[in-house]
Amino acid sequence: MREYKIVVLGSGGVGKSALTVQFVQGIFVEKYDPTIEDSYRKQVEVDGQQCMLEILDTAGTEQFTAMRDLYMKNGQGFVLVYSITAQSTFNDLQDLREQILRVKDKDDVPMVLVGNKCDLEAERVVGKQQGANLANHFNCVFMETSAKAKISVNEVFYDLVRQINKKSPKEENKKRIKKPLTCQLL
Amino acid sequence: MLVRGCAGSEFRHSLAERTKALAAKCHALRSPAHQRDQRSAERRRTKNRKSQTRWYVKQPTWRLWGEERVDGAIYTVYLKKVRYHRPTRSASSESDDEISHLEWETVRVRFVKAGTVERLVEALATDDGELESTYVNVFLATYRSFAECSRVLDLLLRRYEALAMEDVHPAAIDTSQQHRKTLVACLHVWLDTYPEDFRQLPHHPALQQLLAFTQLHLPGSELHSKVLQKLAVFSAERNGGAAGGVCLAPGMRVAAHHTCAYRLPHVPHRHFAEQLTRMDMELFKKLVPHQCLGAVWSRRDKDRSHDAATVLATVNQFNAVSFRVISTVLVEPNLRPVDRSDILAAWLDIARELRVLKNFSSLKAIISGLQSNPVYRLRKTWALLSKEKAELFEELARIFSEDNNRWAQRELLMREGTAKFADTVGENDKQLQKLLHERGSPGVSNGTIPYLGTFLTDLTMIDTAIPDTVADGLINFDKRRKEFEVLAQIKLLQGAANAYHLPTDPMFDRWFDSVIVLDDREAYQLSCQIEPPTNPPKERRPKKLNDNNNHGHRKNDSIASTSSSNSSQFYCETDGVGNAWKRDSLERRISPTRLSHGSSSSSIPSLDVSLSSANSGQKPANGKIASTSPAHPNARSGPDFYIIRVTYESDCVETEGVVLYKSIMLSNNERTPQVIRNAMLKLNLDGDPDGYTLAQVLPDKEMVLPANANVYYAVNTAYNLNFILRLRKSQQEEAIVNGKTKNKRT
Ligand SMILES: Nc1nc2c(ncn2[C@@H]2O[C@H](COP(=O)(O)OP(=O)(O)O)[C@@H](O)[C@H]2O)c(=O)[nH]1
Ligand SMILES: [Mg+2]
Repeated sequence: MREYKIVVLGSGGVGKSALTVQFVQGIFVEKYDPTIEDSYRKQVEVDGQQCMLEILDTAGTEQFTAMRDLYMKNGQGFVLVYSITAQSTFNDLQDLREQILRVKDKDDVPMVLVGNKCDLEAERVVGKQQGANLANHFNCVFMETSAKAKISVNEVFYDLVRQINKKSPKEENKKRIKKPLTCQLL
Repeated sequence: MLVRGCAGSEFRHSLAERTKALAAKCHALRSPAHQRDQRSAERRRTKNRKSQTRWYVKQPTWRLWGEERVDGAIYTVYLKKVRYHRPTRSASSESDDEISHLEWETVRVRFVKAGTVERLVEALATDDGELESTYVNVFLATYRSFAECSRVLDLLLRRYEALAMEDVHPAAIDTSQQHRKTLVACLHVWLDTYPEDFRQLPHHPALQQLLAFTQLHLPGSELHSKVLQKLAVFSAERNGGAAGGVCLAPGMRVAAHHTCAYRLPHVPHRHFAEQLTRMDMELFKKLVPHQCLGAVWSRRDKDRSHDAATVLATVNQFNAVSFRVISTVLVEPNLRPVDRSDILAAWLDIARELRVLKNFSSLKAIISGLQSNPVYRLRKTWALLSKEKAELFEELARIFSEDNNRWAQRELLMREGTAKFADTVGENDKQLQKLLHERGSPGVSNGTIPYLGTFLTDLTMIDTAIPDTVADGLINFDKRRKEFEVLAQIKLLQGAANAYHLPTDPMFDRWFDSVIVLDDREAYQLSCQIEPPTNPPKERRPKKLNDNNNHGHRKNDSIASTSSSNSSQFYCETDGVGNAWKRDSLERRISPTRLSHGSSSSSIPSLDVSLSSANSGQKPANGKIASTSPAHPNARSGPDFYIIRVTYESDCVETEGVVLYKSIMLSNNERTPQVIRNAMLKLNLDGDPDGYTLAQVLPDKEMVLPANANVYYAVNTAYNLNFILRLRKSQQEEAIVNGKTKNKRT
């Protein structure tokens, strides 16, 4: 099974952890344990293919600035998140993207631009068109999501998988993968 | 969808058990004799259960019975088989049958799952009035996320008073007394473990309330005198504590024009590791664990940042160490490659010593610095490392692999966290094995300093994933138990950190403080100057323009050289225009300087400055600079910037005889106000740059820079680039009155 390393980036409070948890845990939030080995992994089927996604959430360590490069180096696909309720979080993404391209030393990196908290329509300050324009400028896909209302969360990650597949269709990633967790009594 | 782990009952059960085990461990800290045994038992367990979380204690005699709801609370109920010890066989006449009949009993045990604050406070004592010590530990470590200190205290005291006033049956009088005793015990634990909760400046209301309470109900008691003593300590601090607050930290005391004694790569590695550990240890011991909680640290907003001040201090130190790695590797672009690779090697040697000292914080900071893009991309420099050093780097980096939810470092921390020595390395870690072998058994035992980020991530994720409340707004106490598991580990390690005994070397502090810190863009630029990118850049992105700046496409040079060392602003105003980015990208094309981010100062490098600068600057004192000036774009032998040292001079008495300087980067085309602003930033000075003057210190005089000079060209490079920043005379008096000067260590 191919493994995908995905990094979720964005300013504090935009909903990175919420998106990660929502994607990895779905409704089984009550049993969530972030300290165990597999807590940021999820096996999914995309276009008929089984994939193992490992999400690298920078939650809680955003301020360890020196580590950002490493996250970026390790990531194969990037979710750039802003909140549609805070303009500054939108503005911050340009720099983040440039840092990614610099670290990756590439022009084109699998990436999805995400405007989160779209359930908060009444508090919207970043227009949908603004997001679309920025994505156009980034030459990447754009989606509005809500981690809270569970809107389009999975789609973000599926799209990234497709992008990664398209950009490097070969299965160069032969890393040993732990057998997926199944429900078993101890 | 995968169901994580196992059946729910097992989960809850293990949760309760693990929390209990942790609380026990925390207690065991006070009696170190137990520690070793516990640890090895722990180790055995983890070996057997590789895929399980650490601290797991298997107790097969527990069984989930179900949930119980009462008004204002939900309990999880377990049935627990209790085994009674067979009395030593005496010569009694009782038959074996009778004894074995009594050997087992099933007991019902309740754990609060959720409840109102009132109910949670009540649960500090069991129904029999006994102290529920695990629960008390969890409660006191986490209550701040659901209630104020004063509210909890109020409930506790009211409960005591209610018990005291109750008309109790003579039969129940023991229970009532026991209950009150337990509440007093809770107050003791609270005061001892979290004295900061009671500081509440300026008047310590909670402590005053507690004082009134003890005066009334428990005069002359141990609690009473403890309260009095705490009050005395706080008020002494308030009155006398300010003295010395104005003093400079020892590290800031730098003799005039003193050059630092330490200079990489030729530094004592072990000593450096010890000094870094000393700095980390001081911060780690001061760390307030509950400030790491997701509700505090990752939800903090700007004006509440002091709520997580001790966490922030740790993070800042981590970054400071990484920055020093990056800076020392890059800051001299003209170094021979082999000398630069010696600097890499020196950091690896320091890192290796940190591994022995079990300081995973600075260790990771160094590795992060080495793995940061501007350093990591220097392939030629890395290629010059010896095979051993390259291996060492890999081994050390492997510790912090992000794979499998950072399993490697979690395991390591578990194994060595409270152990005395770094005694375990992986089979593949040849270099580290060699090191431990060489060292033999170390004479001194060490503590452990963890990389805090792992805990912060865990706590953030717990906070995100688990709801604060359940069923009609009851406080979800199971969430707090889960958080406590992490907090307890931190506490445990804090206790272990006391095992470090490291002297302070002021000279090291001085060195640490004198290292220039580069921002992202500066670092990347320097890095590209050292080893130009191999990928020939296309246009379109500002990055590319910037690369051009360093090689090829000379026609851009005059524009590229508008580089100012600080810039980060771009369309930050909410103008709401849909195509703001277009304008931005256009601007960037013209002014390629705005690549960096994260820099807090701003500058306005504009095209007109750059175009006029070629003629407007003062005549350079030394021909070398002229060659880099935009007027001679083809000669590129000299640097694009200088590093200058700036001292702040004031008439304040406190700074008499103490000169502290900060290094700043001076790019070509930076004008006096910008340089002053940069210097103020580094020196932590507030106010208007126009209120200051900047002068270069020359052997026989000072050269005051004109108000709007291009400083890069104005400086006299025949001499040391030492500068003095001064308040203009008129401003000076005002500043002293307002106490505007703040010399803080950052
Ligand atoms: N209304 C709404 N709130 C959200 C959404 N996603 C996250 N949040 C809230 O935003 C805050 C910050 O979320 P978090 O995931 O911690 O952001 P992070 O700092 O980027 O990891 C939390 O209070 C979340 O509950 C969303 O889609 N809609
Ligand atoms: Mg978060």
